[in-house]
Formats: sequence, structure tokens, C-alpha cells
Amino acid sequence: MGETDTRKRGGEAAARDGLVTDERVKWAGVAVSVAFTLAIVGFIALVLLEYVDYGLLFAVVPRFVEAFVRVLRVVVISSVLAVTAGVFVGLGRVSRTSVTHAIATAYVQFFRGTPLLFQLFIIYLGIPSLWPPGEFPVGNWSFATAVIALTLNHAAYVGEAVKGGINAVPAGQMEAARSLGMSYVDSMREIILPQAWRNALAAIGNDQVILVKDTSLLTVIAFPEILTVFREINSNQFDPWTPIVLVAITYLAITLPLMRLVQYLEDRAEWGTQG
Amino acid sequence: MSDGDVQETRTDTPEVEFEKVNKYFGETHVLKDIDLAVENREVVVVIGPSGSGKSTLLRCVNRLEEIQSGEIRIAGESITDPEVDVNRLRQRVGMVFQHFNLFPHKTALENVTLAPVRVRGVPKNEAEQKAEDLLAEVGLGDQADSYPAELSGGQQQRVAIARALAMDPSVMLFDEVTSALDPELVGEVLGVMRNLAEEGMTMLVVTHEMGFAREVGDRVVLMSEGRIVETGPPADLFDSPKTDRAKQFLTRVK
Repeated sequence: MGETDTRKRGGEAAARDGLVTDERVKWAGVAVSVAFTLAIVGFIALVLLEYVDYGLLFAVVPRFVEAFVRVLRVVVISSVLAVTAGVFVGLGRVSRTSVTHAIATAYVQFFRGTPLLFQLFIIYLGIPSLWPPGEFPVGNWSFATAVIALTLNHAAYVGEAVKGGINAVPAGQMEAARSLGMSYVDSMREIILPQAWRNALAAIGNDQVILVKDTSLLTVIAFPEILTVFREINSNQFDPWTPIVLVAITYLAITLPLMRLVQYLEDRAEWGTQG
Repeated sequence: MSDGDVQETRTDTPEVEFEKVNKYFGETHVLKDIDLAVENREVVVVIGPSGSGKSTLLRCVNRLEEIQSGEIRIAGESITDPEVDVNRLRQRVGMVFQHFNLFPHKTALENVTLAPVRVRGVPKNEAEQKAEDLLAEVGLGDQADSYPAELSGGQQQRVAIARALAMDPSVMLFDEVTSALDPELVGEVLGVMRNLAEEGMTMLVVTHEMGFAREVGDRVVLMSEGRIVETGPPADLFDSPKTDRAKQFLTRVK
């Protein structure tokens, strides 16, 4: 009773809104989330029981597996390249050398400031047109375009995350490293970047998840990615729900393990906090 | 030939020497015509109110701050010469910071071995042996594998001292090294510094610990508004200050 009284006095305004106690807020939260979950689960059950054609579903699984493998290859290669390049972009962004800083900044502004779709067109259509017709030497140009565009685009985002990570390392770390006689490069590599990496990991991981989803744009450069398969099946069978289920599973098969990997890397970078 | 000469002059050349040093932060004149010499094996303690330029003075010695005029010499060698190799110079000057600045992703042992291995190219096992000895010396022989986050402030600061000593510096700079510590942890850090002083380390110490200044300092320097206002043996400066500024400061800290 007495406790409720103090709470009431502490939150006159809240009392008038009817959100008097934490209890009520808690139950409101439970009610809303349970209702939401039931609605979603009910809808999914309806779809799975009434609208999915399981004969078709199992027949087209191999096509999604192929798309999964193709997309995974692009994702792994682009992601590794984008993160590697992004570290250098980030270093350029914090550089006090004006040329380096200006170039890194212009790079980030262009690749973050224009759509990925446009960047795909520049590379896919623009580059081959520099050669006389029929003489462009690269065979699988859509795969190469996918890797180049995703790498260049996401290196800009990773670069910004790395820059933020570097700036969040206390200035005293560089001072301590330099006052031991270590060079700038050694100090960066040994002291600043490992800590910046830890600071930036969540943002870098987030960007890699977005990279996975950005592969859906590759359909415009004739790269048979996951949604390309969906559209083919939907337009032949007039059945959206069967391929929708497979699309969801295929994307999550890439993104969920990726999020796990990021979490694992974050946990590993907790140095010596009591566990 | 020149090696022998350096050894010769070293004994009577001051370890650290400031000559007419002026330093500005933008418009603010933070060090004004500083003249100061720290002799070999001498412990000089710098005291003074906040903002008097004590820490800046210290940070100029290993060029964490640049000066605008004058000269600073270490064992006779100018460090303010633009031609000087600042990484080589810094190896001779150990520095300990107010906020420890240990490397959080490295264990105590790795903090201590990093610079000798990376900068000096000391073999790893040799560096580790020495680091273990140094950690034992500062009373942390059993914490070699701990990460900084697992150590108390006093323990972290003692690791930081061991880290600086690992480079065999000829002079040690201490920048308010007990100011960020809980009161009950101050003693253990001052104890390590007292031992160092007794072993004959040349030390330039900025501190608010008047007891330490009196007891361990060979000479005390009082700074105010960017100037050295009085300097002398601790007994003289603390018990019979000559300047009004010194009297005023000392009554306030007592």
C-alpha cells in the first residue's frame, strides 16, 4: 500500500494516463505481443495449410538450392572484400593527410549517396561499352559486376563503421602506444584497430546482413538470385505462396547464421570482463 | 669515438633540460619561458594548481605536445629539432598516465612485452622473462595473465609502470598517476614509485600528493599560470616558501 502511494506521487502525469504501475505496463506489453504473435502464427498456419502446394514446393526446392549457392558465393566473396577494403576506407576517413582524407570522403559520399541499383548499371552496362561491340573480354560479367558493385558499395558503409570505431577509442591509447616508441602504423595495427574492430562489429555485421538482402537487386543484371526464381515460378504457376515460403527460408538460411557469426565475434572480443 | 664522449658527458649533463620553453594552445600561453634541469638520478616533483601547465610541461618531454620556442634536451640531445627521430627518442623516456591507458585487449604480460618485441625486436621469450620480473617487482607476479578489466585501478597503474620500465628508459615521467585512484589504492602506486626513486631512477613527477613530494622528491617545482614560481628542496619549499604565490598555494593544499 505504502509503496503504491509513493509510486503514485512519483508519477502524477502517468497516473492520469492510466499507466500507474509497472505491472500494468508489463501486462499491456504481454497482451499486445501475444496478440501479435497469435495473429502471425495463425496467418502462417493458414498459408501453410490452405495455400501452399506441397507437390510444387518439393519440385522447386532444387532451384532455390541453386540460387542459394550462387547468392552465397557472391555474398561471401563480396563481404570479405568489402570488410577488408572498408578498414582502409575507415583509415582514410580518419587520416590527417588531406589528400587521403579527401579521397576517402569522396568515395564514401558517392557510394552512399547514389543507389546500388545505379551502381550496378554503371558497371554492368557502362564498363563493357568502353570496348568495341563484341570484344569485351569477361565471360560471366553479371557475376563479376555483382561482386564489384556490392564490394564497392558496402566498403563505403563498413568504412564509416570503422571510422566510428576508431574515433571511439580513447585518445590515451594512441598516446600510450606512441610514448613507448611505437610507430603510427604499429600503434594502429596493434592497439587502435583491434579496439576499433570491437566497437564497429555490430555496425559491420548489420551492414553484411543488408548486403545479403541487396543481392535481390542482382535480378536486374540477369543474375539468377533468389527472387528471380520466385518470379519465374510465380509467373508460370500463378501461385505466389509456395515460392514465398521458400524465399523466406532461403534468405534466413544465410542471414541467421551470419547474425550468429557476428554475435560470436562480438563475444570473443570481450577482453577479460568477468564472465 | 662519439659513443665514449656521450658516456663521458652523461654524468654531468642533465637528463632532461628545458631552455626558454614556450608553448601555446591557440592564443593561450600555457608554458612561459620554462628553464628547468633534471639531473641524472634526481627526482623532481612538479606541483601547482590545476591549469598551471604541469601536465603540459611533462608531455612536452616526449613530444606528446609540441613547443613553439625554446629547446628541450634529453641527455644533451635536442628533442625539439625537427630532424630528430621521435620514436627513438620516446624509447628513452618512460611515461605513466593519470588514466593508466593500458591496452584493454592485451593481458598484463602482453602490455609489458609489446613494445620491447615490436620496437626493439627483443625475442619473445626474453621479453616475457623480463616482463615477469618487472611485474613481480611491482607486486603483480601472479597477475601476468589478467586483462586490465580484471584488475583494480592500483594494479592497472602498477602494470603501466612495469610497461614503461620494460623499455629501459633513462627517465620516467609520471603524470598525476594517483589522481584517478580510489584513496585506498594510492599507497601501493606511490610505494612502487618510492622504490624506483631509491634504485636511482631519474624521475619527473607531476602530482597532488604533497606527502610524496616532501618525502621522495629531491627537488620540488611549483608552477602557476605557466611559470615556474619557485623551486627548491622539499623542506625549504614546504616549510619556508619565499614567494607569496607559493605561500598562498601551500596554505590552500594543507
